Amino acid sequence: MELQRTYISGKKTDFLVELVQTISGLLLVAFLWTHMIFVASILLGVNAFNALAGFMEHYHLLDAAVIFIILAVGAHVGAVLRRVPGRWQEQKMIWQHARTIKHNDTWSWLFQAVTGSAMLILIIIHVFIVVYAGIDSTLSAERVHSWMLWFYIVFLFLAEYHASVGLYRALVKWGYVKRHSLKRILTIVTICTIGLGLISLWVFYSLGGSA
Amino acid sequence: MSQRELAIHIFRYNPEDPNDEPKTETFTLQEEEGMTLFIALNKIREEQDPTLKFDFVCRAGICGSCGMLINGKPTLACKTLTKTLPDDITLMPLPVFKLLGDLSVDTGTWFRDISLRTESWIHTDKPFDPEAEEERMSNETALQIYEAERCIECGCCIGGCATANIKPDFIGAAGVNRVARFMVDPRDERDEQAYFDVVGSEDGIFGCIGLMACDDNCPIDIPLQGQLAYVRRKMAAAGWKR
Ligand code: SF4
Ligand code: SF4
Ligand code: FES
Repeated sequence: MELQRTYISGKKTDFLVELVQTISGLLLVAFLWTHMIFVASILLGVNAFNALAGFMEHYHLLDAAVIFIILAVGAHVGAVLRRVPGRWQEQKMIWQHARTIKHNDTWSWLFQAVTGSAMLILIIIHVFIVVYAGIDSTLSAERVHSWMLWFYIVFLFLAEYHASVGLYRALVKWGYVKRHSLKRILTIVTICTIGLGLISLWVFYSLGGSA
Repeated sequence: MSQRELAIHIFRYNPEDPNDEPKTETFTLQEEEGMTLFIALNKIREEQDPTLKFDFVCRAGICGSCGMLINGKPTLACKTLTKTLPDDITLMPLPVFKLLGDLSVDTGTWFRDISLRTESWIHTDKPFDPEAEEERMSNETALQIYEAERCIECGCCIGGCATANIKPDFIGAAGVNRVARFMVDPRDERDEQAYFDVVGSEDGIFGCIGLMACDDNCPIDIPLQGQLAYVRRKMAAAGWKR
C-alpha cells in the first residue's frame, strides 16, 4: 500500500457512486418510456395530445419533469464519467481491444459511451426547446415538419439504444436475470418503442404538412 | 476428411530484445485429423522455427497455461481443435499479463498478487487441532465452493475484460470469483465488512462494468455472471450498512 492509496481505502464512495449511476439510469429509462407513451397520445388525435399536455402544465408536471430530468441526467453523467476512458492512451487501448476480441457486449459498451455523450447535447437542446416553447400539438407538428425531423429521428434512436443497453447491463450486473433471454426481450421492447416513436413522428409530420 | 492448408498468423515479439518490434509472422501448415492448436504449434516449433515461444503443460485443459487470443477470442489453445477454425488463424498472447515473448505470458505473478490482495485463505481464530475430526458442511455448500474452486487461473476472463485492460489494479472476474468462494465457506470467519474492505471498491466488484466478456470466455464455464452478481449484491448490502 502506498500513502495515496490510504486516502481512498475502506471508503464507501465507490459503492455510492455505483448506486447513483444505477438508480439514475433506471429512473431515466422509466422516464423515457413514459415520455414516449405520452407523446404517442397523438395517435389518439390532436385533442387527446393537447388535453394531456394541458393537464401536465396545469398541475406543474411539466416543471417537475424538467427539474427531474436535469437532476437525473446530471447525476447520471457525473457518475458514469469515471467509467469513460479519459486518457488518449486508454482510448486507443480500448478500441483496439474491442477490435481484437470481437465481443458483442464490449462493442455495445463502447457505443453506449458514444451515444451517451451525443445524447447529453441533444437532451440539453430538447429541454431548452420544450421549456421555451411549451407543449402544443401545432408547435410540435411545425417543428417536426422541418429539418428538425432529423434531430428527432436521431435522438429517438440514440435514446432507445442507450436505454436498452444500459438496462441490460444493470440487470446483468446485479444478476436478477438470464442474460440471453433478457437480451431478446429488450430487443423487442426497443424495436416497439422506436416504432411507436417513429409513428408518432410521422403523425406530427403529416399534421405539420396539412396545416 | 479433406486436408486443408492452414495459415497461422502468430504475434512475434521479444520484449527482452531492444531491437525487436512487435510483428505478425505467418506459418503454413497441413491440417491433420484431430489436430489441436497444441499439436499445430509444436509442429511449427519443431519443423519451422525453434525460437517460437508458447506455453503448454497439461495439454488437457487443466493447468491453465495455454490461454491466448485465438482469432481474438481468449481461450485455451490445447482444447481448441483446428477443425473448428477457419483456414486463417490468428494467435496473439493474452493482454493484461506480462509478455514474456511471442505467445507466452506470465499469469502466475498476477494471480499470486490477486490472492494476496483478496486475502484468499481461510480467516479463523480457532486453534488448529490436527487430531480432531474435520467439521462437516452441507453438500450444497461444498458444491458451491467447488464450483468456484474449479478456476484453473488461465486468465482468459482477465485478458478479455476491457476494464482489466485499462485498469491495472482491477481484480477481474477471477479475483471476484475467488472472493465468492470464501464468502460461502462456513470456516471463514470474516464478516461482510471485512470482505467489503477487500472488494468493495473500484478495484474490486464496483469496477466491473458488466461487459460479460469474462462470462462468455471462461473455457471451463464457471458461471461468472452469477458469481459477480452474488458478490455485488453482498457488497452492496455491506456498503449500505457501513
Ligand atoms: S463483466 Fe466485464 S468488466 Fe466485469 S469482470 Fe467481466 S469482463 Fe470485466
Ligand atoms: S475464471 Fe475461468 S477464465 Fe477466469 S481464470 Fe478461472 S478458469 Fe480462467
Ligand atoms: S496446456 Fe494445460 S490448459 Fe492447456
